[in-house]
Amino acid sequence: MNRINIECERTRRQLDAYLSNELLVETTSEILRHLEKCEACSQELASRMKVRDALRKVVLSQAPPDRLIEAVHQRLTEAQPSLWTTFHFPVWALAMASLVVVFGVFIGQQWLEVQRGRRMVAGVLTLGVSDHLHCAIRGHNYLDEGRPPDQLRERLGPAYAGLLNVVQQRLPRFQILEAHQCTVPGSPRKYVHFITSGQGTILSVILTKRNGESLPDGKSLVADASNGINLYKAHLEGMNVAGFEAKDYFGFVVSDLDQNAVLQTAAGLAPAIRSALPVGVAALESQEAPEIIEASLITNTSCDAR
Amino acid sequence: MMQLLYRPHVHVEDFEAVAMPHFADLYRTAKWLAPNLTEAEDLIQEVYLEAWKSFHRFKSGTNCRAWLFQIMFHHVHHFRRKWTKESKLDPFDNLEQGTIAAEVPVPEEIKDEDILLALEKVPVEFREVVLLADVQEFSYKEVAQTIGIPVGTVMSRLSRARKLLRQALSGVARSYGIRTGRDDPAEVNRHE
Repeated sequence: MNRINIECERTRRQLDAYLSNELLVETTSEILRHLEKCEACSQELASRMKVRDALRKVVLSQAPPDRLIEAVHQRLTEAQPSLWTTFHFPVWALAMASLVVVFGVFIGQQWLEVQRGRRMVAGVLTLGVSDHLHCAIRGHNYLDEGRPPDQLRERLGPAYAGLLNVVQQRLPRFQILEAHQCTVPGSPRKYVHFITSGQGTILSVILTKRNGESLPDGKSLVADASNGINLYKAHLEGMNVAGFEAKDYFGFVVSDLDQNAVLQTAAGLAPAIRSALPVGVAALESQEAPEIIEASLITNTSCDAR
Repeated sequence: MMQLLYRPHVHVEDFEAVAMPHFADLYRTAKWLAPNLTEAEDLIQEVYLEAWKSFHRFKSGTNCRAWLFQIMFHHVHHFRRKWTKESKLDPFDNLEQGTIAAEVPVPEEIKDEDILLALEKVPVEFREVVLLADVQEFSYKEVAQTIGIPVGTVMSRLSRARKLLRQALSGVARSYGIRTGRDDPAEVNRHE
């Protein structure tokens, strides 16, 4: 086979791609150079182009019938969804939307419940903060050198004298300067108040009867727990306060120490105070009744114990 | 029926403005893919309905003609099973397969009816490629995407389809007693 035939063979193999303009520029140039000098291949190309052009011409001359165009238009118009169906969301989207709404309502209710609980907690913890501020901080109702334990027990009265050792044991870094029963002006509520000094500041341990009130339950409201006793915390009027329930009492630890220190102090105190508290309010009141001096202290002096 | 996806409201006029200019091209191709005119017209209607339903997925500014052809060939492949059951005729059987490899002379003058007759004789798998590439002037890549076959298969089918056409035309010409201009065996065989 001579060189011409080899080139012709190669050209014929690529002639279809050349006809479709699918060859690289270099290959196209080679084909063109061969076609210039090879009449047979040029004729073959012309033959193929003639068939292609004839096919294109005849097929493109066929027009669709008007009735078909009209039929398609009719079917499209019929298939045009109404405005309502167009804007319908699929079932799953409606279900999802409903779930989102329900979930949103649920979350909203939970949020409101938490906010209500926080207000209740703050309301209870405010009792301890008010007494601390009124009696210990503003009233300064303690002796800077403190009082002997016997005096403190006497001032506490027999119902609460037993708590003195508990507080002292649980607050080894604090000195108990004062212990008494007191009230805050404008309120009949009575407080058992331990004023202590340590870590460069004043810390109060305060008990008051719950009178049927309770701190709300809820994971988002409880700051910590100690031996099954829930602990609550708040920052009120510049003070950090931790509160808990112990039998018929609310207990508070109030100070301007940091929140964790106050909370840990309360965690250490709460179980011990619960164990040391007498059982039953009636029994306590019967024990308090004979202590006229303490009672007058509460009602008359409103923490004016000095 | 409720749509599976949210579909913004689109007027059918908007769709027709984009899709109807290609109606004739689709029809001309469908005629040669379906076994008869009735099936071809049904095919076109189905294609346009499907395109309308899917119009929200069509990206404005892209090749609507290629998109419509893809939809049509999706339907063609679906319907082909039914069509082949109804029509057992395989035009490939009528072709002289032994001469495919050889260069084929074509008549000096090609009549419309002759080339239509020749096109009918090309098997539909080859016919669809030659219609897309030579009549609709899609690139090899576009043909491959439209039919769903590799580009290499497009090339081989197109080459074969063209040769089958030339062969069929040559047969027609001979039946008329027309000289093709290259009936001289010496000239034909010169490149073999």
